[in-house]
Amino acid sequence: MSKDLRFLVVDDFSTMRRIIKNLLHDLGYQNVTEADDGNTALPILQAGNVDFLITDWNMPGMPGLELLKAVRSDPKLAKLPVLMLTAEAKREQIVEAAQAGVNGYVIKPFTAVTLKEKLDKILESRPK
Amino acid sequence: MTPEELKARYGNLVLNLSAALEAGDETAFSAHLNAIMRDRDDGLWSQLRKLTTDLGSALERFQLDSRLVDLAEKEVPDAKHRLDYVLKMTDEAAHKTMDLVEQSGPLAGRISSDAEKLSTMWQQFRNRQISPEDFRNLLDQMEVFLNDVRSTSEQLRRNLAEVLMTQGYQDLSGQIIRGVIKLVDEVELTLGHLVHLATSHTGKEAPGDKFRESRGHGPAVPGVDHGNVVNGQQDIDALLSGLGI
Repeated sequence: MSKDLRFLVVDDFSTMRRIIKNLLHDLGYQNVTEADDGNTALPILQAGNVDFLITDWNMPGMPGLELLKAVRSDPKLAKLPVLMLTAEAKREQIVEAAQAGVNGYVIKPFTAVTLKEKLDKILESRPK
Repeated sequence: MTPEELKARYGNLVLNLSAALEAGDETAFSAHLNAIMRDRDDGLWSQLRKLTTDLGSALERFQLDSRLVDLAEKEVPDAKHRLDYVLKMTDEAAHKTMDLVEQSGPLAGRISSDAEKLSTMWQQFRNRQISPEDFRNLLDQMEVFLNDVRSTSEQLRRNLAEVLMTQGYQDLSGQIIRGVIKLVDEVELTLGHLVHLATSHTGKEAPGDKFRESRGHGPAVPGVDHGNVVNGQQDIDALLSGLGI
């Protein structure tokens, strides 16, 4: 598995961004960029230097679901793998995220093992 | 009432009254006097009716402001439970962090003191002041020490990773606290609306919570969020695999 994947981690809490960044480092991924909501994330994505998006849902400004929809409706980004990492736990929300085209959904609080599992699953099923 | 209005309203009534008085017609006099009093009473009654209607509609609005009822009966008590949950979560996270630190300190201390003992023996060996028996002893201890360093530092690394994960409470409790702040804002606004209603009755409706769905709800709080909430990652995995993800 290529370890030079470029990640973008979007969460409005800097503590959570640090945790995810550290976990990614432990998994061998060194290239991690951060953004604090959809509005700041979108320009970074559009600049075209991101291979994998990990986003929270509940954020001020542009929430994660809107970001996901924006990504899927942009022809250049439509195939970007997106993992939602959020505390949002309502069934209809998970269905909504799935319908919007999310590739994986991890509920907070989560474990390092769960994150690795979901990342690997998405990366394995990704068209090469 | 202007003098003209006064004259127009009461002029004829008073003239009739005074004519009856001049004529000494008691029946006519009482009839005209009653007419004047009725006229006054009508004004009073219509004022009173208006006041009653206003009061009625104000009361009705008050009762109909379901948002206020909802806030008072459900959301404020909910908010208390949410804050209790934050308290519990921060308490657990603080204890877990301290447990891990307390567990790690002695591990690091043991490596340090074992290394110190070994280095004293090592120094004796370097100075050629060691018996063959002590030398064998040194080799055995060195082997034990190297194994121990390997497993202990692995344990330390795991504890540090666990400390890191535990800090996730800040995000989760922060989201809940943010929700409660929003609720306090809304209570303030709704109470302002109520004060406005009590002083006049042209108040606008208190604003609803339009963006809630797409913004998200924040973490599910046990005992407060019932119903359609998933129960952990396994639940989500099952739900998603049912959707082909």
